[in-house]
Amino acid sequence: MEEKRIGVYVCWCGNNIALMVDVEAVSEEMKKLPNVVIAKNYKYMCSDPGQDLIINDIKEHNLNRIVVAACSPRIHELTFRKALENAGLNPYMFEMANIREQVSWVHTNREEATRKAKSLVVGAINKVSFHEPLDKRSVDIDPATLIIGGGISGISAALLIADSGNKVYLVEKTGKLGGHTANVDLTFPYLYSAQQMIDFKIKRLINHPNIELFLDTQIEEIFGYVGNFETTLKINTAEKVELKFGNIIVATGLKTFDPSGIEEYGYGKLPDVITSSEFEKMLLHGKVQTKEGKVPKNVVIIHCVGSRNKNYHEYCSRTCCMTALKYSNQLRSALPHSNIFQVYADMRAFGKGCEEFYTQSSRKDIMFLMFDQQNELPKIREAGKKDNCNLIVEINEKLSGEPIEVPADLVILMTSMEAHEEAKNIAHAVGISMCGNDFYIEKHPKLDPVATTTDGVYIVGTCQGPKDIPDSISQAEAAAARILAIILQGSVHVEVTTAFVNEEVCCGCQTCICVCPYTAISFDEEKNVSVVNEILCKGCGTCGSACPTGAIRCRHFTDKQILSQIEGLMSITLEEV
Amino acid sequence: MDFKPTIVSFLCNWCSYTGADLAGTSRMKYAPNIRIIRVMCSGRIEPTFILKAFREGADGVLICGCHPGDCHYHEGNYKCLRRFHLIQKYIQQMGINKDRLRLDWVSASEGKQFAELADEMTETIKELGPCEVKNTMEKLDKIC
Amino acid sequence: MGEDEKNKKPKLKMAVYWGAACGGCCVSVLDVHEKLFDVVAAADLVFWPIALDFKYKDLKAMPDGYIDLTLYNGAIRNSENQHIAMLLRQKTKILVAYGSCAHMGGIPGLANFSTKEQIFDRIYCDTESTENPEKIKPQHIYKVPEGELELPIFYNDVMPLDQVVCVDYYLPGCPPQTERLLEVFMAIVNGSELPSKKTVIGAYEKSQCDECERKKTENKKIKKFYRPWEIEDDGETCFLEQGVICLGPATRGGCGTRCIKGNAPCRGCYGPPPDVSDPGAKMMSAIATMIDANDPEEIENIIEQIEDPAGTFYRFSLPGSILRRKVV
Repeated sequence: MEEKRIGVYVCWCGNNIALMVDVEAVSEEMKKLPNVVIAKNYKYMCSDPGQDLIINDIKEHNLNRIVVAACSPRIHELTFRKALENAGLNPYMFEMANIREQVSWVHTNREEATRKAKSLVVGAINKVSFHEPLDKRSVDIDPATLIIGGGISGISAALLIADSGNKVYLVEKTGKLGGHTANVDLTFPYLYSAQQMIDFKIKRLINHPNIELFLDTQIEEIFGYVGNFETTLKINTAEKVELKFGNIIVATGLKTFDPSGIEEYGYGKLPDVITSSEFEKMLLHGKVQTKEGKVPKNVVIIHCVGSRNKNYHEYCSRTCCMTALKYSNQLRSALPHSNIFQVYADMRAFGKGCEEFYTQSSRKDIMFLMFDQQNELPKIREAGKKDNCNLIVEINEKLSGEPIEVPADLVILMTSMEAHEEAKNIAHAVGISMCGNDFYIEKHPKLDPVATTTDGVYIVGTCQGPKDIPDSISQAEAAAARILAIILQGSVHVEVTTAFVNEEVCCGCQTCICVCPYTAISFDEEKNVSVVNEILCKGCGTCGSACPTGAIRCRHFTDKQILSQIEGLMSITLEEV
Repeated sequence: MDFKPTIVSFLCNWCSYTGADLAGTSRMKYAPNIRIIRVMCSGRIEPTFILKAFREGADGVLICGCHPGDCHYHEGNYKCLRRFHLIQKYIQQMGINKDRLRLDWVSASEGKQFAELADEMTETIKELGPCEVKNTMEKLDKIC
Repeated sequence: MGEDEKNKKPKLKMAVYWGAACGGCCVSVLDVHEKLFDVVAAADLVFWPIALDFKYKDLKAMPDGYIDLTLYNGAIRNSENQHIAMLLRQKTKILVAYGSCAHMGGIPGLANFSTKEQIFDRIYCDTESTENPEKIKPQHIYKVPEGELELPIFYNDVMPLDQVVCVDYYLPGCPPQTERLLEVFMAIVNGSELPSKKTVIGAYEKSQCDECERKKTENKKIKKFYRPWEIEDDGETCFLEQGVICLGPATRGGCGTRCIKGNAPCRGCYGPPPDVSDPGAKMMSAIATMIDANDPEEIENIIEQIEDPAGTFYRFSLPGSILRRKVV
């Protein structure tokens, strides 16, 4: 067997690590370990000179395994793997010890932090000792794209990809395109008609030669991996169509919050308490009226319904403040003599043209009343006979500090955006994650906001988080651009840290087969062994843990690698501090 | 001298490890006793690893995965849950307090929860005192 | 000396010894039946206390490396077992841990759930049939008027052979299948190339399922665990698929699936396949994976039905496993 020659590099990350961890002591300690040829510390390992340090050492000292103790591998593992490759070493002969996010940034005692850092580095050295070179596999990209969701985001992405000459399959679970945008009358802050915008796009889409449209269609399970996905569509729950595609855009949109659970508002019991989507419908029909068909004299708009409240959703739904202002503009035009009340928690006028819109709207004889939505929501009750209105809204007005009663004939609840009930099914089908019951999680919240942790799957529009139409379109077109870039490359590298079966040991018990979430394992009757389809395998390792014979090996996370990492971690404890 | 336990923690890459990273990015402070091993999925965590950690001197073992229903690989965390219950029964038979092995769900956005969990687990183990597995083994080895 | 005599290979010198064992392993050597003549023709038995009259001093007198092959069966339970194991190691070229007890600790290894005190209390004081009001227990040294009496020291722990001496090969089984013993024996006699040291011989790389004739499918989902007598076994379906714990998948083949053919699930005496350090842990992992529930409470209820995981999954392998013994 080839002699193991390990290089260890401890990063200061400027002061980020070096202040809390004695990097010099860490690298010195590692020099004592068997097979460690070189151990150094350096200001910024991820910088060009830092990487060159590794590359030169690999060449000069014939290193064949590298450990970098620095930030999280989720940030720079790929950077360093590339550096290994540049030095002619297999990129998988590398392991990172996370001594920033999981040591220097979270601990306060330098001596303890240093000891912990040392133990993590020994663990990494032990693990890398058993690393094996893995061959990169690249696969060709099928230029077709599947887009799930026919709202403004899905449509915008579809048009961009299709215009470039590539095939798009657009799947919409309802019978109608346009999503929530199609239910909106005017848009804020410029009061353009949403209908006109979306109709134009829908017309183009329907007639586009590169777009194949599937309405009333459900996605159940998607198989494959970036570049080579496939699925069977169920149209109208009967007809089945098989599709192959290389990338997926998830644009499943939002669901509006159901306010009937908020007792204070009496939604569902009081007929003239309606949601913002119900009010949009009124606007679209051009008739603003109470249940009894009367013109409302007093309209109250309540903000943050289901948003920014720990009992419902803690997040801000971002669009409701401006939509509410839009309503008061439209109401003012339609009902010049009515009383309009904005009952708000904080007025959030982010984005281009919005603050101006707020200023304009506030000049239109609209009453703004503030409530403390963390402590006490406004209460809506039926008005008395003498009151000369349908409803009374009780508010503890925050700015004046006074309890006020506001007359109302119509109350509009600005309901929040939330994830679809079916979002979870789609997440499972395509293999992406959600933040609890909320929205889909992007690959990186700042640096990679449209990609997901599954290669080839992108999330756009409100399924990723509350946003307005221009933000949805930007995200959709960003994802489309990402996909076009991959299509242009023609091929992409896929996961190589897959599982494989040692046929010499596999006894054919078949325990592993139904364990695999990707049906990547099948049974070879003739050889009496299980077989992993390494293209379908996503490397979770669950089969390896289920295998009672030790025949399944999970590359890069083998028993030997992990057991030896445990030994390393435990070789230095805090006791001596 | 104060007892300073060592806790080996196995975290799945997608939720819990990211959550632990978030605790760091948010500069939350927690006890330095937790040593993290990253696996792709909690479904990869084998009883062998847990026993090995105790054998090597861990005073506690903490396993974290994605919340039920949120596994990046669909159901790996349920496999982990099943194994956890059986192995917990086994270690009790072997004279190891069941609270030395803990399974919890930590999502990618739960940095705070991870930091709190790390502190909580450290406290639990401090109360339980050192785990005697390694000592017992060392005594055993001395006979020979 | 005639030509024939000269060409004849020198006879192999062989020893068989038992430590903490039931005697079944020694009997398995006798189970070669008429083949015993072939064995005796090829080998001189220089030490085999159960069958022939030897004294320890005879063993001590042998030069180092004098014995070609020793089959040591039984675990290490007391100082005598250890002492003879060390002596045999010194005198032997190829030392084989023969049978489950020498290999992994075996059934005597289950004593590692208790301490020496607990065992003595139970055996010498507490059993229902014991009459021992003065609570007299065995002593290592006991003074009598005639002098000092010495008994071996009873250890607190049971150990497999390789925890006290270097072992060349392991020949597993409770007891080892006689055919496997003969194969190994003939290989040594014929001077065939032996596998690399410290490996298992006389067993297959593949686990029991490979030889098992029962029908196996991928349908291994367990809602309820059954004891073997609780099911109506059709004799054809995989035990695991009937909810009966069978350690076959984590146990090497080589025994000819004797238990399974007798309609009893495998209990693991042949030990783990290569690369598996702790067969109990592997099997627990596999079995737990098969549990068909995701709800914590339901999972617990199902696991509740496995009365004794440690005894079930480590019946033959406790002292050789990662945790080795109960912590007290």
